[in-house]
Amino acid sequence: MSNLHPQQRPDTFQNSSSQRSISSNSWRASVDFGSKGVRHGSRSGNDSEGFSMSRREINDDDARLVYVNDPLKTNEMFEFAGNSIRTGKYSVITFLPRNLFEQFHRVAYMYFLIIAVLNQLPQLAVFGRGASILPLASVLFVTAVKDAYEDWRRHKSDKIENNRMASVLVNDRFELKKWKDIQVGEVVKISADETIPCDIVLLSTSDPTGVAYVQTINLDGESNLKTRYAKQETLSRIPEKDIISGLIKCEKPNRNIYGFQANMEIDGKRVSLGPSNIILRGCVIKNTDWAVGVAVYAGRETKAMLNNSGAPSKRSRLETHMNQEIMLLSFFLVTLCVVVSACAGVWLRRHQDELDLMPFYRRKDYSEGKVENYNYYGLGMEIFFSFLMSVIVFQIMIPISLYISMELVRVGQAYFMIRDDRMFDASSNTRFQCRALNINEDLGQIKYVFSDKTGTLTENKMEFQFASIAGVDYSGEKTEVYVEQGGYNIQVDGQVWRPKVKVQVDPKLLQLSKTLNDTKSSKEIYDFFLALAACNTIVPIVVNSSNPNEKLIDYQGESPDEQALVYAAAAYGFMLIERTSGHIVIDIQGERQRFNVLGMHEFDSDRKRMSVILGYPDSTVKVFVKGADTSMFKIIDESLNLDVVRATEAHLHSYSSVGLRTLVVGMRALSVSEFDTWQTSYEIASTALMGRAGLLRKVAINLENNLTLLGASAIEDRLQKGVPEAIESLRKANMKVWVLTGDKQETAISIGYSSRLLTSKMSQIVINNNSKMSCKKSLEDALITCKKLIDVTSATDDDASSVALIIDGTSLVYILDTELEEQLFELASKCAVVLCCRVAPLQKAGIVALIKNRTDDMTLAIGDGANDVSMIQMADVGVGISGQEGRQAVMASDFAMGQFRFLVPLLLVHGHWNYQRMAYMILYNFYRNALFVLVLFWYVLYTGFTLTTAITEWSSVLYSIIYTAVPTIVIGILDKDLSRKSLMAYPQLYGSGQRKESYNLKLFWVTMVDTLWQSVVAFFIPVLAYWKSDIDSSSLGDLWTLAVVFMVNIHLAMDVIRWTWLSHASIWGSIIATCICVIIIDAIPVLPGYWAIFILGSSGLFWICLFGILVASMIPRFVVKMFMQHCKPCDIQIAREAEKFRNSMEVTRSGEIEMHR
Amino acid sequence: MNANAPSSSSGGAGSPDVNAPRRNSKRPKYSRFTQQELPACKPILTPKWVISAFMLVTVVFIPIGLVSLFASRDVVEIVDRYDNACIPPGTKSQKVQHIQDARSNKTCVRSLTVTKRMKQPIYVYYQLDNYYQNHRRYVKSRSDQQLRNRGDENDTSSCDPENEANGMSIVPCGLIAWSLFNDTFSFSTRNNSQLNVNKREISWKSDRDEKFGSDVFPKNFQNGSLIGGGRLNESIPLSQQEDLIVWMRTAALPTFRKLYGKIEVDIEEGETINVVLENRYNTYSFSGKKKLVLSTTSWLGGKNNFIGIAYLSVGGLCFLLASTFTIIYLVKPRHLGDPTYLSWNRNPGGH
Repeated sequence: MSNLHPQQRPDTFQNSSSQRSISSNSWRASVDFGSKGVRHGSRSGNDSEGFSMSRREINDDDARLVYVNDPLKTNEMFEFAGNSIRTGKYSVITFLPRNLFEQFHRVAYMYFLIIAVLNQLPQLAVFGRGASILPLASVLFVTAVKDAYEDWRRHKSDKIENNRMASVLVNDRFELKKWKDIQVGEVVKISADETIPCDIVLLSTSDPTGVAYVQTINLDGESNLKTRYAKQETLSRIPEKDIISGLIKCEKPNRNIYGFQANMEIDGKRVSLGPSNIILRGCVIKNTDWAVGVAVYAGRETKAMLNNSGAPSKRSRLETHMNQEIMLLSFFLVTLCVVVSACAGVWLRRHQDELDLMPFYRRKDYSEGKVENYNYYGLGMEIFFSFLMSVIVFQIMIPISLYISMELVRVGQAYFMIRDDRMFDASSNTRFQCRALNINEDLGQIKYVFSDKTGTLTENKMEFQFASIAGVDYSGEKTEVYVEQGGYNIQVDGQVWRPKVKVQVDPKLLQLSKTLNDTKSSKEIYDFFLALAACNTIVPIVVNSSNPNEKLIDYQGESPDEQALVYAAAAYGFMLIERTSGHIVIDIQGERQRFNVLGMHEFDSDRKRMSVILGYPDSTVKVFVKGADTSMFKIIDESLNLDVVRATEAHLHSYSSVGLRTLVVGMRALSVSEFDTWQTSYEIASTALMGRAGLLRKVAINLENNLTLLGASAIEDRLQKGVPEAIESLRKANMKVWVLTGDKQETAISIGYSSRLLTSKMSQIVINNNSKMSCKKSLEDALITCKKLIDVTSATDDDASSVALIIDGTSLVYILDTELEEQLFELASKCAVVLCCRVAPLQKAGIVALIKNRTDDMTLAIGDGANDVSMIQMADVGVGISGQEGRQAVMASDFAMGQFRFLVPLLLVHGHWNYQRMAYMILYNFYRNALFVLVLFWYVLYTGFTLTTAITEWSSVLYSIIYTAVPTIVIGILDKDLSRKSLMAYPQLYGSGQRKESYNLKLFWVTMVDTLWQSVVAFFIPVLAYWKSDIDSSSLGDLWTLAVVFMVNIHLAMDVIRWTWLSHASIWGSIIATCICVIIIDAIPVLPGYWAIFILGSSGLFWICLFGILVASMIPRFVVKMFMQHCKPCDIQIAREAEKFRNSMEVTRSGEIEMHR
Repeated sequence: MNANAPSSSSGGAGSPDVNAPRRNSKRPKYSRFTQQELPACKPILTPKWVISAFMLVTVVFIPIGLVSLFASRDVVEIVDRYDNACIPPGTKSQKVQHIQDARSNKTCVRSLTVTKRMKQPIYVYYQLDNYYQNHRRYVKSRSDQQLRNRGDENDTSSCDPENEANGMSIVPCGLIAWSLFNDTFSFSTRNNSQLNVNKREISWKSDRDEKFGSDVFPKNFQNGSLIGGGRLNESIPLSQQEDLIVWMRTAALPTFRKLYGKIEVDIEEGETINVVLENRYNTYSFSGKKKLVLSTTSWLGGKNNFIGIAYLSVGGLCFLLASTFTIIYLVKPRHLGDPTYLSWNRNPGGH
């Protein structure tokens, strides 16, 4: 059921990128949030557990033993990889065999190869050696050149990388060493702003508490600083003097960049190591003077290199359909071959007695002494050989070259998508990214869009808006005055330090926060802001500003909410200026205070809160907790102040109904005994070797209770630019937009309104239940209401008829993966809008699967955060927003872009074009190859079924390489059925892709019938015209070659919509190239057709035949096309006419109004 | 933008700000190509164009059809099937035996009546029916190298099963040459005046010059135990063996004619031509037919009404189509770009 694992997808046809897809699959699996058995509906915190593998003890067999500072001993028994990397695949010697081996993984090439090998058998030699190998050789050659160039570039960058320098401890001294010479077990020292050469376990840093800040932008693209810690046992040692020796037992190299599990034996003590103790290759040390660590994984075994894999691979819907039609074509091919071999058998049987002497058969060979059968193996074998030979002759019936053309076209389309000016995000300076190269055309058929909210619809740039402190709402008018004065700042060593981001403040609250006296409210405000400034994982970094007397404090952290809160606290005079693992320094209204951080329970999605234990200067200890309202109200002691709790709840409701994100802050003073109990259990838990995360969670839950409510904060997450318009466009394009968010229902609904997803006219159905029975009941009720609403309003056809379904994660627990799913699907498919709030990451994927498994419609998921990864992978098309929340979503996505609104040009414009182009190209390639095969087939019927081709073997081979290959690719990349402007203005035009108008079985059959007609015309006009004449087969072959090539190019020309100079050049150029090739072939005296084209060209009948073929073959197609165009015009046709005759459009005023409706 | 692209009626949305600061920016370089806004012509076939196209085809095709028909009608063609008449009646095997017997009398006299005046040059063809000169075994059994170069005499690997006889290479080798047609015809008129048949330049000049060597002489030809057809004079180079050259340009279809020679005098209507032929070539073993054809020629070739009829039918069809479309456009006009035809306007509400 939960087929999150991409390898379980029905991959029927491994294509070219199979190599890459295998490796990328396993990479995806590692970020897969939980393993296979996890049900979508379960809401336990699987997302966090997926990362922490630390619960398992390392088995000795699976372990890697690293002797610290003893590379010799470390590498003695096990040959660990050195640190030199080779991303280049080939060396000069291995290039040929390896490259060939890799290329032949593709089915297309195998087909070419088998045909070519068959052709080498003397009995089957239809084509000469050269001609039979040429198609395969040319494809192999082109690919090999491409691969060689890419590899050369990789070699170059490897060389640079390998020769970088790092300082390594050798004989108790740090010496500079090339990266490639670093060995596992060596101790490496890295200074600030240097890149880590291999994966190292931190031993000590310049920070006395052993903290190192790293930037992982090269690894996962996240630009914020992360903290890594050296272990207590090692951090005080200085490697040059105090030799550290120990044994690290760690996992075998793996690609999970968020997990690491090891333990270190040092001085007889066993210390456990986790992901926070390792720095991975490619990271950069920031804000730390130096860091010393021991190399545990080097070179290709580093996590960065193991993750160095390509884009995910999916198969497009169009290609899946195409494969079905290719099966049909294979069936045709077999039919043709059976017909030919059967007829050949009948012919041979009938002429059984005559074969010996028949001048054109001459079964008997008299040249040797004894008379034998020459090249005759009995009737059965002859039939069998006929069959194989016809497979060779008719091989291009299966348009294998189509796969290669499609790849080229997709590369071209991707080029245009990446370079589209309108999908460039200037604010984050990111281009559109095409990570998956083979589902471009799926973008034109999307029916369902699943969107995350935070960071996707909204900017995820948090802005502190309101606060509710001790039941008092501070949501008054904001003032700019304070900001203009420069905001809050402090003086340090004659310099002015101020926060980097300025926050608008509430003047009343500001006034109150400034007067620190002993009144109750002032104390509450003090605690509230102290909590905001302290209870987080933000690291303040002092950076220079343009003004030499001024320094800016930049708050770096993983959560944008926390950043916003800390900036807000700073604006109100509680400025966090220093954080180490042991203490924080906060400037409170100009007075610097130091608090000891005695412990911290980090955020997890199970508790949905975090807490920090602060030791005050006066040695009181308090725990501050901040978290989501649901989780906080459970642990707040309501008895303390019921009114405040009620008031805060009311405030929270009002905040979230205007779309703000809320957090609740609580506090409790700890008594000495409480603190001691906590501290002992905390230490036990944090040094536990097994199940550390679970133990820590238990400790946290024991501590976080009976809190005093301090207040609540409201943070605005503004809608991204253009989101309402984008959603409107998508909805107009008949796409169903579902929003899946972890936010509260009120927040989600208000965002729904502001993004125009919900309108006031819509009727809302809300499902909020916490048992299976009640879910069932409300689903049934909803279905009835829904039906009623639709029945009543169906006459008036408007937004009023649309129903919005709002469902929360708790209800989904009882619905997903149960029999209720069916009802939910039925209900959801009736609703215009579906909003899911409070959903867990796996539930997101479950909802996508709900639609994907039940309909044939294409789904697209768009998100920006790690919690969207499962959804992105589940959907047919996954789009990642390269936003604030890091790069995991982008890494898992097929396409990545900077802004949600780019979805509109991506789908409506590029998706539409890609779909139209690809659909046409596939049909055209079927036609093109089938036409040629049929012409060959008809001729075979006139040769005693012996598979002679009048068309020279070279022309047969060049047909799909030179004669007709280029125009289809050029048109597939460049043709546009409609301009961007029309497509954007009338999103309904997108419907043609959703309705599969450009590629379906009917069109396939129509094309095939047309092909049959054209082949009959192309073959029989010359046959009848030259019947009983002295025409020779080479001349007739040339006529057929030219006729077929002209036909397919004119056929294409009839369907080209935009004639750019490139389309002209490719189509007419192909015709000219064909003529030149035919002339060259006929100028070779040793070929039987020598000079035929010249003799032919000088006769009038040839030209009349050619002209007649071209006109007669195109008439049915032209008539049908013109008839449909006039009587049953499709939307695209109308829009194209409107585009061209815009002036006349404006005359018909009424029409214009309807267009804009 | 439209000013630069006169033919593109709506090139696309307004051009983006090209002058935006590009320092360190990854903004794609703007060009008309990358934005897919190359100037382009977007023809749309309006009713006028459609009707004109059909009319144009009509106007072009009907005259060509008529001209072709007339040309074909002017061609005078006399066809005489002689294979059955020129052999004593009997069973198939008797016939085969007769034709294979070197000593039997194979001379045969036929008389042909000229129904219409034949202007010179009159082409003499022999026509073979049911003879697969395009059979795979047959077409491959030749060596173009050997025909061309004296040095490549032994290049006979492709000629099986007629590559060598008595241990020596055959020149010209292969089934095609081996099965050379060897019936001969001589013509005389009623008053017994001989009609000369010019057998020179009946083959392609290119073949004589390049394909068949002037220094390659027949050797060891028809010396095997099985005689397939005509013999060649071993003192004449291949480049002058025009019957062989004609024969070796293998026919495309199983019913074909080969040029035998040209009669370079006019023959009047009502004239009777006496043909004395040597019926040597064996088509009896596989029930092939042999015919003698005398034909004049037109610019279009021989007598064949097909092209004329085909052109007339296509022309006529296009006229019909033009009228049909005219009626359709008149009866059911549709304003081009009329938005009421858009699917979402046609059936409102229904998606």
